[in-house]
Amino acid sequence: MQQILNFLIKHNHWFLFILLEGISFVLLFSFNNYQSASMFTSTNEVAGNIYSMISDVDGYFTLNDENQALLEHNKELISEIEALKEELATLKDSSAIAAFPDGKFRFNTARAVNNSLNKLQNFITIDKGENDGIGSEMGVFNDKGVVGIIYQTSGNFSLVMPLLNSKSMLSCRVKGSNSFCTLRWHGEELQYSYLIDLPRYAIFQQGDTVVTSGFSSIFPADIPVGEIERLEDSDDGMFYRARVRLFVDFASIDNVFVVGNDDKKEQDTLEQSINKLK
Amino acid sequence: MTSSTLINIRNFILLTFVQVLIFSHIHLFGYATAYIYLIFLLKLPRHTSRNALLMWGFLFGLAVDMFSNTPGINAAAATAMGFARNAFLATFTHKGMPEDFVPGAKSLKWGSYLIYSLMCIVLFYTILFILELFTISNIVPLLISIASSTLLTMLFVVVAECFSFRK
Repeated sequence: MQQILNFLIKHNHWFLFILLEGISFVLLFSFNNYQSASMFTSTNEVAGNIYSMISDVDGYFTLNDENQALLEHNKELISEIEALKEELATLKDSSAIAAFPDGKFRFNTARAVNNSLNKLQNFITIDKGENDGIGSEMGVFNDKGVVGIIYQTSGNFSLVMPLLNSKSMLSCRVKGSNSFCTLRWHGEELQYSYLIDLPRYAIFQQGDTVVTSGFSSIFPADIPVGEIERLEDSDDGMFYRARVRLFVDFASIDNVFVVGNDDKKEQDTLEQSINKLK
Repeated sequence: MTSSTLINIRNFILLTFVQVLIFSHIHLFGYATAYIYLIFLLKLPRHTSRNALLMWGFLFGLAVDMFSNTPGINAAAATAMGFARNAFLATFTHKGMPEDFVPGAKSLKWGSYLIYSLMCIVLFYTILFILELFTISNIVPLLISIASSTLLTMLFVVVAECFSFRK
């Protein structure tokens, strides 16, 4: 007994080593789930606030460009409103307007405070969290197009899984056609992603615009994503694969919009109940 | 609490900030990222207990992980490096050396110190990148990442050593 105890005491660093490595691996694997503890990521208050402070200072240097982009976006929105107003005036008397549903999407603005680009699994930290009504699996986009999907949230910060993450999948549609497909990132190239499983019968061309499908209930339909640059065969030759140039410049993300869907829960439970039946 | 522990805690906080706010954002050629906090682990005195080395490595790794959204990856790699450090160091110590010393160019000579650093850093990056990419099928980019990051970090080890050498 004494000898066993002596042995254990003499080699206690082995046990500490195994314990610490164990903790590291638990952290590593639990991070792979949505909703897991966000204490050890940059959504925690300490890291979030420090990044927020740095980005406050940093933000001044890009104010000019950012203002210009917002002005452009404003201009587009104003012209769109004007066009819609005219449309509305012509429809005023018809009964169609009465049946127009209330928007089920809620929008929120946020600022990116931290951003990684060099990994296979990149993340963006934004400065809004649960206290602002943000929850996981909400969509994030900016004036150029889709940025990503909320992965984890804490009180005042959220972690976004951008399109530049090997685990990210986005349901998309090629504008002008009705076939749906999935956008995945292969790593390495910052500005390019791939549409996989494009059906053979569908006709696409170089330069076609890729937009959100509105299928997944995360994003409203028709938010721009990117532009098809090249069509190629998939590895098994059954489908097409398209190389897509993304509209968003992930190296300079600042102001973003977060979109939540009031009906998402309902749609999800319905879809899950069907899966259970299978 | 001894004064050396306090100095270590101060260095810990300073190095973590410098690491996560500056060095973690530099990716030379898309492959090389320097983890200068390893210098702290390299420079702990010879007689630092294995348990203390493990704890320092783990806490440092965890702090850096927290800021870079890679939970557990740095912690696992730095803990392993802390574990192996004394064994690596032991191969370069010989009789006639003072009982306890801070590893460096002065105490170990340049050659030995650099090889000792190189062994520790290669171990660290090998674990780090295998965990991060989680595959060894793309062996070439993995090796490029390990080699380039090791070289870059070694450069900072040499620079840090030159500064402390002049004192």
